[in-house]
Amino acid sequence: MEFELDEDQQLLRRTVRETVAKVRDRPGDQQWSTYRRLGWLEAPPFELTLILEELGYAADPTPFLATATWFAPLTGRLPDGSGTAVFDGTGRYVLDADRADEVALLTPDGVVVVPGAELAARRVPVLDANLHVAEVETGALAEGVPDLALTGLAATAVGACRRILDLSLEHVRRRVQFGRPLGSFQAVKHKAADMHVAIERARALTHFSALTIAEDDPRRTRAAHMAKAAAGECQRVVFRHGLQLFGAMGFTWENELQHHLKRAQACDLLLGTASAHRKALLAS
Amino acid sequence: MRLADDPEVDAFRAEFAAFLDAHLPAEAEARERSRSSAHVPDWARRWQRTLFDAGWLLPGQPAEFGGRDATLPQQLAHLEELAHRRIYHSFNPQGLGIIAASLITFGTAEQKRRWAVPILRAEITAALGMSEPEAGSDLASLRTRAVLDGGTFTVDGQKIWTSGAHDADVLLAFVRTDPDAPRHQGISALLIPTAAEGVVRRPFGSIAAEDDLDFNEVFLTDVRVPRENLVGPLNEGWRVANGSLGHERTLLWLSFAERLEDLVQDAADVGAGQEWYATLLMDLQALRLLGYRQLGPDRDPAELSVLKLLGSEAVQSASLHALEAHGTDALPHPARTGPYHHMNNEAFIASWFERYARSFAGTIAGGTSEIQRNIVAERILGLPR
Repeated sequence: MEFELDEDQQLLRRTVRETVAKVRDRPGDQQWSTYRRLGWLEAPPFELTLILEELGYAADPTPFLATATWFAPLTGRLPDGSGTAVFDGTGRYVLDADRADEVALLTPDGVVVVPGAELAARRVPVLDANLHVAEVETGALAEGVPDLALTGLAATAVGACRRILDLSLEHVRRRVQFGRPLGSFQAVKHKAADMHVAIERARALTHFSALTIAEDDPRRTRAAHMAKAAAGECQRVVFRHGLQLFGAMGFTWENELQHHLKRAQACDLLLGTASAHRKALLAS
Repeated sequence: MRLADDPEVDAFRAEFAAFLDAHLPAEAEARERSRSSAHVPDWARRWQRTLFDAGWLLPGQPAEFGGRDATLPQQLAHLEELAHRRIYHSFNPQGLGIIAASLITFGTAEQKRRWAVPILRAEITAALGMSEPEAGSDLASLRTRAVLDGGTFTVDGQKIWTSGAHDADVLLAFVRTDPDAPRHQGISALLIPTAAEGVVRRPFGSIAAEDDLDFNEVFLTDVRVPRENLVGPLNEGWRVANGSLGHERTLLWLSFAERLEDLVQDAADVGAGQEWYATLLMDLQALRLLGYRQLGPDRDPAELSVLKLLGSEAVQSASLHALEAHGTDALPHPARTGPYHHMNNEAFIASWFERYARSFAGTIAGGTSEIQRNIVAERILGLPR
């Protein structure tokens, strides 16, 4: 196999990175309309994963993830506006259900799409304040989580973890104690190295998962469990070391680290933690 | 990005698989076991020679050195095919992969004829003299001296951890030839025949068994070595050392993938339903993916440290889990823990304790995990030295 980004994919990643950085401080609806205008929602699975990693890096506040990786794979189309889906059989903790224009419900009789406005959805305050998560009251539901939804969360978590590492590196290079930058201490270096290895591992498995979806390879479900589990394992290492390396500064509300720690943690909790997906991998 | 292999790689793999099916030594023929990494039983010498003659020994090399000018992805397919079948192509892996390969890169025409080709054809075996009692991870602090007088070096000093030295015909040793130069600049590479006067080799047992004799102390006292045995220019041994290991490094991760693959098979029974077994499957898959990526153009060599860390620590972690999962059944030692295959090195299917203990070779040899973490932090993440 060939496991390198081709030129178009590298170009896409650069473009997404630059665009996201440019619109990062604008209101969420402006970011959303920019992403839609650029056609990112229509990107094929692999390219979509690259986009999601960059959105994860920026703690994206838009309904992009749910629209592209929850609604679209369930219905086979893009929603009119934004969308999400209920496919874990519970209707609890549904991403963006409080603000989606269309909501796809997986029922024992198949997929039913309802306008979001007609659905009784109640937003739940969650640890990541930028994330919309809601409880949905609905009839009988079935379970069938799309591979792309797991891969999308994994890619988002990888992006958030990369951001945590970048912020931590910036901090330990700049912060001087005992007359030396913190980053020159070996104990600090080793934590940073472990964060990097965990990210590379999770990103490789996420890319592989996206590739199996793009090529509809028979390994796709196993690959999706691997990606979600690896992203969760990565999140654990990166959260713990990142917050530790930041020292007391990372513990404050003002420091932006908190947003990324929370995004990474939430991605692990949604649709099954690392442990749940390790078990699912063994059962698949 | 794509899942499928290049058709050229597929064809190459199929051709090699057919060759193996047709030429693999029979089990009855291969009874004598290898006792060290430079002890090659007669049947294994014949096997290595068969591979050499057919261009399947080091496929990346030209035909005169047992290859067929294969591309890097083809070389990977060759090693994968061997690993899937648990086959060794040489029972003198360092002689083949490091010493002969270095001679092909840095040696004179005469050195290639006299040393490299006989090593590749398994007529002689070779061991690598790098570490010293005071120079382990810090190789550049090595002290073994070689003084050049006219056409002869006189070598004095000591090497240690020299795998297989007691069974080897020749050592590729790194020695200090200019004591006044900065550490990295006064080192040279010398071929030292082990039969030379003043060479004393003392093998010593490993944690696995008192009679598991692979490591050696090598004492060098007034050993006279002709100048023609100098490999590469005088005082440029550091470049040879980096090149030597460079040969191995690009595909070093594959040896960890091989161990992980063995564990996937051999621990399947105790791993059933266990989360650590899922982690093992993920580590193997991630290592392969990152290894494939490393075959691409313009990769940073520092990324090989990520592969070594990931691979060696995954092997260690899974070996410990397998050991613990066996409970008291892991007590017997020696014991066999995997299927016997006459073409395999039995050390890797020895008792669960031995497999766990041997996993430390991966986290210590060739730059410890601590050194690898420093490399990742400084060269990839840009933290200050």
